Parts: sequence; C-alpha cells; structure tokens
Amino acid sequence: MNISTAFWVWVSAFLSLCIFSFLYRDNPFYKFAEHLFVGVSNGYLVTLTWHGVLWPAALRPVLFEGRWWLILALIVGALYLTRFIPRISWMVRIPIAITMGYSSGAAIPAVIQADIVRQVQGTILTPDNFSRWNAGSAGIAWTIILFIGVVCTLSYFYFSREHKGVLGVTSRIGTIFIMVGFGAAFGYTVMARISLLIGRLQFLLGDWLGIIQ
Amino acid sequence: MKIFDYLATIDRRIIYLIIAIVVILPLVFPRPQRVRVMTPTQKLFEAVDSIPEEKVLLIDFDYDPQTAPENEPMAIALIRHAFKKRIKVAALSLYVQPLGLAVKALDQVREEFNARATTNEDSIIYGRDYVLLGWQPPPIVPLLGLGISISGVYPTDYYGYRTDSLPVMWGIRNLSNVGILVSVSGGSAPLWWVAYSQVRYGVMVAAGLTAVSASEFFIYYQTGQFSGLMVGMKGGAEYEEMVAQLDVPGRRRASEALGSLTAAHLTIIAFIIIGNIGYFVRRRRK
Repeated sequence: MNISTAFWVWVSAFLSLCIFSFLYRDNPFYKFAEHLFVGVSNGYLVTLTWHGVLWPAALRPVLFEGRWWLILALIVGALYLTRFIPRISWMVRIPIAITMGYSSGAAIPAVIQADIVRQVQGTILTPDNFSRWNAGSAGIAWTIILFIGVVCTLSYFYFSREHKGVLGVTSRIGTIFIMVGFGAAFGYTVMARISLLIGRLQFLLGDWLGIIQ
Repeated sequence: MKIFDYLATIDRRIIYLIIAIVVILPLVFPRPQRVRVMTPTQKLFEAVDSIPEEKVLLIDFDYDPQTAPENEPMAIALIRHAFKKRIKVAALSLYVQPLGLAVKALDQVREEFNARATTNEDSIIYGRDYVLLGWQPPPIVPLLGLGISISGVYPTDYYGYRTDSLPVMWGIRNLSNVGILVSVSGGSAPLWWVAYSQVRYGVMVAAGLTAVSASEFFIYYQTGQFSGLMVGMKGGAEYEEMVAQLDVPGRRRASEALGSLTAAHLTIIAFIIIGNIGYFVRRRRK
C-alpha cells in the first residue's frame, strides 16, 4: 500500500467519496460536492470563453487591430442580454433568429444526406451491402435480416390502419426487433455505467490508496 | 419461497455493496483476461495504421471527466499508435471542457515515448510530431471550416503559436490532408463530423464511443459512414491490446478493468434471472 501524498489527489478522492455518499442517502457532503462542481464548471467555462474567444476573436481585433466591423457581431451577440430588461426583451429574437436560421440552413441538407439518404441506401438489398458486413457468406443473411427488421419496425409505427392481417404480422415481428434493440441498448448502458464506476475505483484504489498498481 | 419475498424488498444499498465488492476484487487480485478484437476496432486500427506520411491523424477530443474512464484509454491508445508509427497528429475539441483532458493525454504519451528516446529523431516533439489546435466555438465553425482551411479556423494553436508556422502542419491545408478523423466522444460529436464534414468534404470518420451510445452509432458503421469504431471500455481494451503488440510502453487501464467489467456483468445477469424467477413465482402464488 502506497498512499498518495499529492494534495490534489486527496481533494479529488474526498470529492469522489462525497458524491458516492449519495448511494447511502442524500447528505451535506454530497450537496457540497455537487454545488462545488457546478460552480467550478461555470467558472472554467467563463474564463476560457473570455481568454479563448471574446478577447482574441472579438475585443482585441476591434480595440487594437482596427477590425471595427466585428462590432456588428458583438452588438448582435449582446442582444441576448436584453432578455433581462423586460421593455426591450423582444430584441433577443434577433440573435436567436440569426442563429436558428444559420444552423437550420447548414443542418437540414447535411442531416438529410447523412441520416436519411445514406441510411436508406444501407438498407437496400444490393451486392454492395451484402459484402459490407464483411462476414463472408453470412453477409447476405445479415443484410436480409436488417431489411426485414427495418420494414417490420416501420410497419409497427404505421398507425393509420388497425394492426390486423399482414400489417398485424409485420408489426408483431417489428416489436421483436424493437425489443432486441432495447435489450442491446440496456446491455450497453449497464456496461457504460459499470465502466464509470471502475474508472473511479481505479483512481481511489490506485492513484489515491496505492492498493493496486 | 420466503426468499423471493425477501429479495423483492431488499434494500438497494445491499445491491450497491455487492456490485462494489464484485468490481473491487478483480482490481485488487487481477487475472489476465483474453481480449478478442471485434471487427469495428480492427478496422479503425488498420485505417490509422495505413495513414500515409503526408497526411495527418485528426483526433477530436470530445469527452469530459464524466465519461473519461471509457474514452480516455481509447484516446491514449490512439495517440500511442500514431506516435509509434510516426504518424503526424492534430488534436482539437468542439467544446471547452475536454481541452484539459486532451492536454493530459497528449503530455502523458509524449513523456512515455520520450522516456525511452535516445535521440532527437526518436523523441516526440510538440509542433514537429503533433499539435493541439484547441477549441473554436461554435462547433459548426470547425465542422464546416476545416474542409476549407485548418489554419483559417485555428490561426493559433492551444498554446498561442501560429498554426501554419509549426512543421507538423506544413502541407496540411484542410480535410483533404487528413488520413482519418477519429472523434473520441461521450456524446453526438461523431455524428456531426459525418453529417457536416464527411458529406461535404468526404473525409474518413471513425469514432471512439461510450457504450451507452453505441447502439445509436452502429447503423452508421453498417453503412460505411464510420470507417471503424471503438465501443466502451471493451473497445478501448481491444485497441490497447493491438497497440501493445507494437511494443509500445504504458499502462493499459481499459485492459486492466476487463476482469471487473466481466464480473459485474455476470452479477447483473444473475440479478436479472433471480428477479424474473421471483416475479413469476410470486405471481403464480397470487
């Protein structure tokens, strides 16, 4: 056992234990660590925004480099603050509209191409998709299963007709695929949460207490 | 059948205690675990391995302390791989929080290599072998701008050096000079790289993901939009093992954790089976 003598390792270990104490019940140590985390995160963000963005990309160019036209961007950005003045709070709509307009314009074609067109292409039964699975002769089987899964799952979400007859059969098969998907997602979630616990225990038992190497 | 009544009302803190014991024991008394490398991780490794000399590996650090146990081993294994193969590395982040973790990972691997280096050529040197470009908000700026000009989006790097003055960036103008872009992320950033940068500029994209988001991302691997994936701590361990075969020094945190991960999974499977048996037994009795 080789306990750390580093001050910040002890601080980190203390805060980790404060958070873990919530597993027993809510308590002042947990509250302290939670509030400290929120405060530090905000402070970190504000500091880096000032040093990394506001000063080098906006204020310094305007004040010392003669790029005065950036004042326009600063004014539009500052309109977000009008939210706190009831009489002119409507002006907050201007930067929101600009941001939403720009973001939507950039996002819509990209998302249609990446999330719809390519996904539909990936579901079509083609020799290219058969080989993409890289599973030898099983590639065809996997692609057909995928095709059936997509069609049946989509039919489950078709609510304009009662789920009877062919639609009843396909929607029931779709339910099986959905359940398998939920199961896989749950399994991965367990893996993720346990991994986070392991990471913290590696720190507490290794870096702090020195029990593990 | 009183046992099932007892289990149905068991205090959740006892479950926590059992999980803690199950996770701690394999860490304290480790046993070697066999790591089977899955195809998505293998493909990522091969894609990085085949980056030509004139191109750069672009790593997007987009994880924060909450997901670092899963993402950090992936990032470190990637950097070790690149440094070992003398592949140039450029790193960036779409958000501010991961920057400190990016610095930590890059510094750690640089020191691991430099501890064994005997000459200047063997050493890993900032500016010559790698660069940390930093953070440029909002994320859409680098997502779209890197396809036009990397130094246009990042005129200076994280440390304030002019980006185009660094030897590592000589000949690296935009995404067409990127061998592969690997987004190590605890969120949706890899999908943004696909939607914005790959659709528009055709850059190869791969991802290191937390396990919780894996099922959402596999569909993009199936279509070939991701050239490779590392999923969760297991994915990190797989990459670590492949890199270790290249005789690369350094601790392999994800591989060390596999015993605990396996034990915890088996315990939770046992809980689910016992819980279901108890549910059906009690329902039958009613």
